[in-house]
Amino acid sequence: MSQLLNISGLSAGTEEKPILHDMNLSVGAGETHVLMGPNGAGKSTLGHVIMGDPVYKVSGGTITFDGQDITDKTPDKRSLAGIFLSYQAPVEVPGVPLYSFLRTITQMRPELKMTARKFRQRVGEICDQLDMGQGFLTRELNVGFSGGEKKKVEMLQLLLLKPKLAILDETDSGLDVDALSVVSRGIEAYRRECDGALLMITHNTRILEKLDVDRTHVMVKGRLVAEGPASLIDDIDQNGFARFEQDGAAAQKAEA
Amino acid sequence: MASYTAEEPTVTLERVNTPPAQTWNYLKTNDITLTVPKLSRKGDVYFALPRLFDKVETGMGQKVTDWVTSQAADSTYVEVKAGEKNHAPIVVDVDSNAGTVQDAGVLVRQGASATVVVVAHGTSAEPQTSAALVRIIVEEGAHLSLVEVVATTDAHHHLESVGIHADAGATLDIRQFLLGAGVTALGTCATLAGDNGRVSLQTHYLGEHEQTLDINHVVRMAGKNGRAEVHENGILNDSARKSLRATIDLIHGGSGSKGNEAETVLVNGDGVVNKTMPVILCDEDDVQGNHGATIGSVEPEQIDYLMDRGLSRDEATNLFVRALFDDALIEADQPLARKAVFERAQQVLGAEVAQNLLDTLGLELAADAGEKDADAQATATATKESAD
Amino acid sequence: MAEKSKRTQVEDVDRSLYDFVKSEEGYERYADGLTPDIVRAISAKKDEPQWMLDLRLKALEIYQDKQMASNWGPSIAGLDMDHISTYVSPKTKQAKDWNDVPKDIKDTFERLGIPEAERESLAGVGAQYDSEIVYHNMREEVAKQGVVYTTIEDAIHDPKWEPVVREYFGTLIPPTDHKFAALHYAVWSGGSFVYVPEGVHLDYPLQSYFRLNAQGAGQFEHTLIIVEPGADLHFIEGCSAPKYYEANLHAGAVELFVKDHARLRYSTIENWSKNMYNLNTKRATVGEDSKMEWVSGSFGSHVSYLYPTTILKGDRASCEYTGITFSGATQDLDTGCKFILLGKDTNVSADAKSISKDGGVNTFRSSVFVGKDATNARATVSCSSLMLDDISRSDTIPQMDIRNNTAQVGHEATIGRISDDTILYLMSRGCSEAEARTMVVNGFADPVSKELPLEYAVEMNNLIKIEMEGAIG
Repeated sequence: MSQLLNISGLSAGTEEKPILHDMNLSVGAGETHVLMGPNGAGKSTLGHVIMGDPVYKVSGGTITFDGQDITDKTPDKRSLAGIFLSYQAPVEVPGVPLYSFLRTITQMRPELKMTARKFRQRVGEICDQLDMGQGFLTRELNVGFSGGEKKKVEMLQLLLLKPKLAILDETDSGLDVDALSVVSRGIEAYRRECDGALLMITHNTRILEKLDVDRTHVMVKGRLVAEGPASLIDDIDQNGFARFEQDGAAAQKAEA
Repeated sequence: MASYTAEEPTVTLERVNTPPAQTWNYLKTNDITLTVPKLSRKGDVYFALPRLFDKVETGMGQKVTDWVTSQAADSTYVEVKAGEKNHAPIVVDVDSNAGTVQDAGVLVRQGASATVVVVAHGTSAEPQTSAALVRIIVEEGAHLSLVEVVATTDAHHHLESVGIHADAGATLDIRQFLLGAGVTALGTCATLAGDNGRVSLQTHYLGEHEQTLDINHVVRMAGKNGRAEVHENGILNDSARKSLRATIDLIHGGSGSKGNEAETVLVNGDGVVNKTMPVILCDEDDVQGNHGATIGSVEPEQIDYLMDRGLSRDEATNLFVRALFDDALIEADQPLARKAVFERAQQVLGAEVAQNLLDTLGLELAADAGEKDADAQATATATKESAD
Repeated sequence: MAEKSKRTQVEDVDRSLYDFVKSEEGYERYADGLTPDIVRAISAKKDEPQWMLDLRLKALEIYQDKQMASNWGPSIAGLDMDHISTYVSPKTKQAKDWNDVPKDIKDTFERLGIPEAERESLAGVGAQYDSEIVYHNMREEVAKQGVVYTTIEDAIHDPKWEPVVREYFGTLIPPTDHKFAALHYAVWSGGSFVYVPEGVHLDYPLQSYFRLNAQGAGQFEHTLIIVEPGADLHFIEGCSAPKYYEANLHAGAVELFVKDHARLRYSTIENWSKNMYNLNTKRATVGEDSKMEWVSGSFGSHVSYLYPTTILKGDRASCEYTGITFSGATQDLDTGCKFILLGKDTNVSADAKSISKDGGVNTFRSSVFVGKDATNARATVSCSSLMLDDISRSDTIPQMDIRNNTAQVGHEATIGRISDDTILYLMSRGCSEAEARTMVVNGFADPVSKELPLEYAVEMNNLIKIEMEGAIG
């Protein structure tokens, strides 16, 4: 079975320094993958590189999505192809009302086009599902939103856009109980309704408790150092990343 | 140094101390016009600064530079050698009682560290005009600490024009204390020509009686990743008149630079005229420029609070003046400068309070504070000789 | 529809107003061709009272003597100052017929979705019949509430209103204000006269657009609005469609008198065609407990000088200014606002935005004056500038002059560009880079579009969209 997302020999970095080294990773349609690693491992960078963030340049390897080579494609093309990245710290966009923003991005996709009335309904549905108030739909996109509120908006977009692959970047970090439950609910609803693939980037295992994880990947210093089933998470829970950091260092030495 | 009296010939410096971008003329904020003595220097032998200093843009402009170089008996040139970190402070002593005019040039070589202290001091009631033109070149990776003190009397006019040219990685720390003069005209221009330059410019001032303060700050950010912090705070009493122009110029090519300017003013006098012109010029998109000005008298709540603690309104507002002199005493870490600040504090706050400040800070006035810093003088002479 | 388009040519528009023979004799002083005879002819054609003619002639003299400042402001070298009279002559005022209208102006009409019927009128090749009707209806409606909406010329010929005009005209902006104010007073023609009686609140905005197209002219318009105590008016001038004139000088004047306990909101979207020199003077005086609101969207014109000025004369007078200026290729727009706080407990809040792209030059210029007796004055001026590329310019030149020690004045300005993070965020939701930038810029302009009636806000957003696409001439 060909994979939905295929990363092969991927190396990338900023203009100043290389960050990702020779990474290989595959995610099948509908699967749930977890990417873990200590701080500074480059997990977030991988998420951004998959999304096509122009700050990072690919120096080697390819990214294939849904049968297409997307290594050189701009972020909007990747989004329309079905990739969604939920940000660690979503930006504020003053003067852009949230509701009309949601409408705009939905109308862009032929498969999601609907009447204004249907759209209103749909948004209402999702807010109910996520147990979110509708108050901030009229506010400016992320302006003055707390960290938790911003994450809720990310979940709202996730369920609205129904991507084939959702990359959640440290989506659980720094959230209060209420926001955490919205995020959990969002992820559940996503899995249930869209049967989309999920790549969870996190260094905290809490959020993973409710998930049915297919595969776990461990990253250290820009390299994938381990891959395994869900049980790997428990291992990390118990023992942290020390073992992998040593392995990673050894691998680096071997290459040098 | 000849002194200026009413019978001496004069020249009018029209519309000097101008900012790079000006505003409506009817606002009379763009410049200042000064009448200054014009001595004849026929027959004098000059020591002029190396031509290197011609490229340094100064705050008050070319007219003032030309006037100073024609008035100063000679120029003082100091070179701080590459890597030298312990050079004694270079002191530019401006005795306003004598109408001194100084022209100083300092070259701080790569990786060196230098302190320049400019002190205009005077106590007489005779009208005088003094001036200091200070041009400094700070080479790659070098550091400059510049302290300026103006502490003269209401009868004196003082012009101070500063120009600093900074190469890559240079850092500039400028502290200015304008504590008294009939007319203070101060222009400061710092050019961050190379990448990664840093400048921190802080100006503190007190305006009283019928004094005039005319200040023109310009920071040219030409190199990449430059950082500029410009802060002015002052207190204006009685019928003091102040006009401040602060320009941050984000120049094309200087991407990644950030310039920040902030001003606070405490206005207490009934006859105060307070003018401000904070300007940002920009033709580079990858930069950040901010400025903010907060002008107001002490908030009613603040006064109430202080009065509840037993202070009268005057005493309460005086607290801020004392804080200003506190800062000045601390920063003016050089005998001549400290003495000038102290003597001014005595004038403004009274002898007892002034002594009190000194004691609280645990400072003492050096016995030989009246003399120029011996080492710096020696260095200056030596360099002059070697350059001849 | 064919029937309708025929009717857009209104036969009796008097285009002969400026039709005169230049007199050469004895007028070396008037080497640029603008002689007292021409001014006299204008006044005669309009059948004006002596006081107006006197005012014009005096202004002409002032014009000859005054100089433009040389130390600030965009260059007006492109104006033919030696032949200033040609700007006043009708034959070169607007295009002679549709074929002479520049292609890029026609393209803009197309892209802004301007109805066919309106295009000729906007280009000045014909007045619009429909506008006549709308204008007429509007006047009748407001007349029911006692509001007078007419032209200054008509007001002067009405024995009831002539004394009123005489009392106010030229008193807020004197001819000596600057060179082009003097020129304006010498050759002014057309413009709105609005009088709102005591206590009258007009429920909907008055718009100058329809009058403009019904009557033609516009370059040297004079607007005079009087809002009596307790009254409330919203006046909208301009529109997003570009106003094209071959003779590319606009030197208008707007005088606004807001009496006590009254409110006036003056909204403008200006989009002069890119060959225009727009030297406009707008000033308001505000009485006790009254409020003046400026909403301003400046697009277009090659060079602009525009600083709405507010004199807060009465105690507790307040003023709000919200504006945006967009400078694109070849443009040098110098705009801003001025405030003069004289009364006690006055309050000013200004929020100005500017956008520069494609080599455009944008200067924000402001002045806040707090007079000696303006106890407790409060003023906040905030300016933010967005640079869309590294070949444009954005300068912020504010000034404050404060002479009362109980005043609290704050000023802040920021400049920067759209952050890469913002572009990435929007693109990762499917927006193309261009769409993302337009979205951010529209959001940046939101404080201004929020203050405009819906159809103007939509127009402004369209304008921004087109400007961002960069193909406008």
